[in-house]
Amino acid sequence: MSSSSSLGGHSKSLRLAGEDIWKNKTEKVNGELFTLMYGSIVSQLCRDYQRCFPKVNDQLYTMGYNIGVRLIEDFLARTALPRCENMIRTSEVISKCAFKIFLNITPQVSNWSTDKNAFSLVLVENPLSDFVELPMDAMKQLWYSNVLCGVLKGALEMVQLDCDVWFISDVLKGDPQTEIRVKLNRVLKDEIPIGED
Amino acid sequence: MAIYSFWIFDKHCNCIFNREWTLVANSSSGTVNSKQNEETAKLLYGMIFSLRSIALKLSNDSSGNDIRSISTGKYRIHTYCTASGLWFVLTTDFKQQSYSQVLHYIYSHIYVKYITHNWLCAVDLADNESETRGQGTKKISNRNFINALESFLTPMVAQ
Repeated sequence: MSSSSSLGGHSKSLRLAGEDIWKNKTEKVNGELFTLMYGSIVSQLCRDYQRCFPKVNDQLYTMGYNIGVRLIEDFLARTALPRCENMIRTSEVISKCAFKIFLNITPQVSNWSTDKNAFSLVLVENPLSDFVELPMDAMKQLWYSNVLCGVLKGALEMVQLDCDVWFISDVLKGDPQTEIRVKLNRVLKDEIPIGED
Repeated sequence: MAIYSFWIFDKHCNCIFNREWTLVANSSSGTVNSKQNEETAKLLYGMIFSLRSIALKLSNDSSGNDIRSISTGKYRIHTYCTASGLWFVLTTDFKQQSYSQVLHYIYSHIYVKYITHNWLCAVDLADNESETRGQGTKKISNRNFINALESFLTPMVAQ
């Protein structure tokens, strides 16, 4: 029986918890196999949609969403974290725990909006796109790793955070860095049983 | 230590699984997802719901004062609530203080494994509005889930 590590408080303990779970409680798969699997999905979608890249982006996003709504349960089961009190905490949990546990990377959190409801995740490395070079026709429109936005969207929605998640830039397109934007629209209300309100 | 019944509620306030043991001497006795437990499920949900909202109002910060167990004359009711809105509830006798490890194990090693990671099994049993807010009646009927739960909980029925 695994002990439920209750993670209180600080961002340092979040980082340590993320590392501990990655090291001791996560089964690993071969990185190349993972990258190649994802690549084959993207290339198949490009073929299926006859290189209509906006459609490919949407489809990757939807696939990610469906992963996210399930992955959040896995994440909560591993970390036993309670809901976050604000987006600052949310950003740290995403970066130091979630990305660490599932992809073994820790994106930098930056570019906070003044109301502290939107932030960026800067991916220094991206295991999804190792070995990838976009063909000329895909350079403009394809967001190769768009599945990540969907995953974040789905997972956040399951903990009552209605967010928009989208790519701002990607090194694959020649941008200086890979940046995902997360913007909170509203905190959803928990359902209450009929007759209790 | 003896356990009497086990319940799962989803974020739509619906009871999506219940298991009740009727005879301490016979751990395979009792019911799974019994219709007769509908009313009890609603009462149990209502009680935990009310106590939870009181507890959260009592504490200053929004998290960290969740209900863990409730004691009555003959029972102790243990709850484990996830950030995604699932509640795992176990009624027991008084011999053991905490069942949070047990409930966390059920969530992480049985629920997540057989329901969440099972891609052809729905993650959300409510299909439409009329099955939300405690009005849904669908239950988890996944065989692997029920078997795994049974073999995990059975040794605790009559200890």
